[in-house]
Amino acid sequence: MANDVFTFLVGGKAGEGVKKAGSVAAHIFSRMGRHVFEMDDYMSLIRGGHNFSVISTSTRWVSSHYMHANLLVNFDKRSCETHINDIAENGILVYNSDEQERNEGIGIPLTSEAEKYPMKRLMYGVGAVAILSSAIGFKKNEMNAIIKQEYPRGIEDNVKFADTIYDLMNDQCNNKFPIEKGDKERKIITGNESISLGSLAGGLDVYYGYPMTPASTILHYLASLAENFGIAVVHAESELAVINMALGSSFSGAKSVVGTSGGGFALMTEGFSLAGMTEAPVLVVFSQRPGPATGVPTYTEQGDLSFALTAGHGDFLRIVASPGTIEEAYYLASELLELVWKFQTPGILLTEKHLSESSMTVEIDVEKARWAESKMHQTDSYKRYLDTDDGISPLIFPPSKEVIKWNSYEHDQEGITTEKADIIAMMHDKRNKKLSSLLKYLRTKNTVNIIRGKYPLNIFTYGSTYMSVLEALKYGDFKPSIIQPIYLSPLPVWELEEFKDQNNIVVEQSVTGQFSNLLKEKAGLEIKKTIKQYNGRPFDPINLFNQIKEASK
Amino acid sequence: MSDPSLKTEAEITWCKGCGNFGIFTAVRNAIEQLDIKHKSRQNFVITAGIGCHAKIFDYLNISGVYSLHGRDTATAQGIKIANPELKVITFSGDGNGLGEGLAHTLFAAKRNQDITMILHNNSVYALTTGQFSPLTEMGWEGPSTPGGSIEGPFNAISLLIEAGATFVARCFAGKIDHLTETIKKAVEHEGFSFIEVLQPAVPYHRWSEYNEKVDFLEIEPESREKALKTAREVSRYTLGIFFQESKQVYHKALYGDHNPTTKRLSKNERLKKISQILEP
Repeated sequence: MANDVFTFLVGGKAGEGVKKAGSVAAHIFSRMGRHVFEMDDYMSLIRGGHNFSVISTSTRWVSSHYMHANLLVNFDKRSCETHINDIAENGILVYNSDEQERNEGIGIPLTSEAEKYPMKRLMYGVGAVAILSSAIGFKKNEMNAIIKQEYPRGIEDNVKFADTIYDLMNDQCNNKFPIEKGDKERKIITGNESISLGSLAGGLDVYYGYPMTPASTILHYLASLAENFGIAVVHAESELAVINMALGSSFSGAKSVVGTSGGGFALMTEGFSLAGMTEAPVLVVFSQRPGPATGVPTYTEQGDLSFALTAGHGDFLRIVASPGTIEEAYYLASELLELVWKFQTPGILLTEKHLSESSMTVEIDVEKARWAESKMHQTDSYKRYLDTDDGISPLIFPPSKEVIKWNSYEHDQEGITTEKADIIAMMHDKRNKKLSSLLKYLRTKNTVNIIRGKYPLNIFTYGSTYMSVLEALKYGDFKPSIIQPIYLSPLPVWELEEFKDQNNIVVEQSVTGQFSNLLKEKAGLEIKKTIKQYNGRPFDPINLFNQIKEASK
Repeated sequence: MSDPSLKTEAEITWCKGCGNFGIFTAVRNAIEQLDIKHKSRQNFVITAGIGCHAKIFDYLNISGVYSLHGRDTATAQGIKIANPELKVITFSGDGNGLGEGLAHTLFAAKRNQDITMILHNNSVYALTTGQFSPLTEMGWEGPSTPGGSIEGPFNAISLLIEAGATFVARCFAGKIDHLTETIKKAVEHEGFSFIEVLQPAVPYHRWSEYNEKVDFLEIEPESREKALKTAREVSRYTLGIFFQESKQVYHKALYGDHNPTTKRLSKNERLKKISQILEP
């Protein structure tokens, strides 16, 4: 366990308020001015099973949860058994003494105390908050204020129940983990909220989605904000409808964004290709979970990188980029919306369950968002697919006196279907010119995050795994260089040139090492070792540090 | 004849005598007449799927999206949701709209999206050499069913009424005036309007097969139940408006009188709201 990090783990059955207790704990820490990272682990079911939330907090920026917790609260036996090896040195396991007898840990009779109230087991979460409050030396009145605010249903019962549990805990372990206050209170948001807000900042007018974990919460969050921001949010009949509706909306001049995971994106590839041909600006948020097929819906992986890079039939320009942190997700969402409108081609914000659904304290410079705009038609005699030096044809939207034709068939400059050899080749060339224009533009942008280290060793990583790597190296106080390409298509090879023959290690969450292969093929990097994890779980910083240390020998 | 500016210079590649010519003429007549009435030509937007029907996209000098096979109805809905000022007509075929794109067609009707769908029913996959379609009678000897097709057809009219369309009609490419008038009514109807147009594809069917059989509804049914009953009982060649009703349209239920494109919030207004959300 990192000495400067305190970790709280709460586990139990779905429906017992585990996730809520986790989020309340995170808010207690953030109100103390501390940094927080929360990871929710849940199964694809509605009631029962085993869910848990892990919250790591520190007075410094913390970018991962730690699996070894200082304080564990388990509502049931299964949870205790699952987390028996997740207790940090000097950590405390709190168990439900109505369900089992144990020699170690602190037993609290959660069930018999909760049975006294009409909400029964729904109160376990309140109990967890009381246990945490006692353990960190939180005063009762401070605890009650939070419970009143966070658990508004049956406030009196909740406060009474919390009071009892707090006292029971105090008798056995009061103020065991006095944690110091941090510098200031920060907002806690999830990755999907950050992506949503970044999209809104970048100009999102319409959002289409079909529920699929781990992207669904973008649909939910934007639906809740729709009226406030004057946007349209539509839950359509399928991902096929989603991508084609989005494309229709782009034709009307609306900045459209869609969100999905691997299976849904597989259905979208047909429309993604249509966006390539019609030169439709559409942004897809693609949040990965373990595949193939239905895979493991509520867990994390990076196994769809190759799929994202080549999605859709035909030769066309695809922009793919992946945020390394929840904060970066805000900026990148707006920047990708800007790029797809600037270059009139589809783009993908590639992420993972670990970023989408984890939450952390953030400080976002809201003003730093980009704004989507496009080259607009100014003069007379409009041609939708006018051949220009940079390959970008000016846009204009209906209603207009000009006739605007977007065409799925190969077409001439007016957008009329063609089968003529010279025009087919000319239009391929025209669209392909956009790649050179994009490369020229990206060379002026920050496309790779590089943290220069003290050792002749480079760690390459991307997406949410970047957060795991940062925390692992902070834990180990080990300082190799860390290189995180934000852009994956086109890959900014110009930024990677200097590392070609150096001592390079890749960290990623794919069994075949897709990211490692990309770096070898596109950037010609020599890779000494690829550290992979593909069990659906994000890396634990301590475990990852040990693997990096081992690989660096 | 209709306004020549409604035609592009694209070479027309429908077969000589194709029923699509009748639809093309009626659509141009309808747009021209509606334009005189409402001064609305710039507001017309079309989408088309893929198939013989869709070639109309290249010939009609109106803005729009030449979509994918079966997806034109989804594209049309996206256009309308983004900017409800636009009058969207989607052209579809029987295979396109009731095969590959069936879900989009039914959901557009279920939502009462304020768009018009013209389904060119030639009862065959013409462009791909004559396979049976979702509206082909059982026993069709096409290249994919050499022993005769073993599936019966949908009844497009009752299907669309059941799904929630609020204007449902059948027309014939050989009755251009009736088709023109029906298209005008469909476009002026607020809600999802659906017209099945019987359209002979001459390599596979003869005009005489249609001319002998077409007749008109005697009276327009006055309720949904009666319309369904009539649609099931009359011949597949009976023309007329089977059903129309007034019902809230999708985009108004979604955001009232708002328009997400023309009334979008400025960057500054958005950033202000986001800053508020991000306050701890």
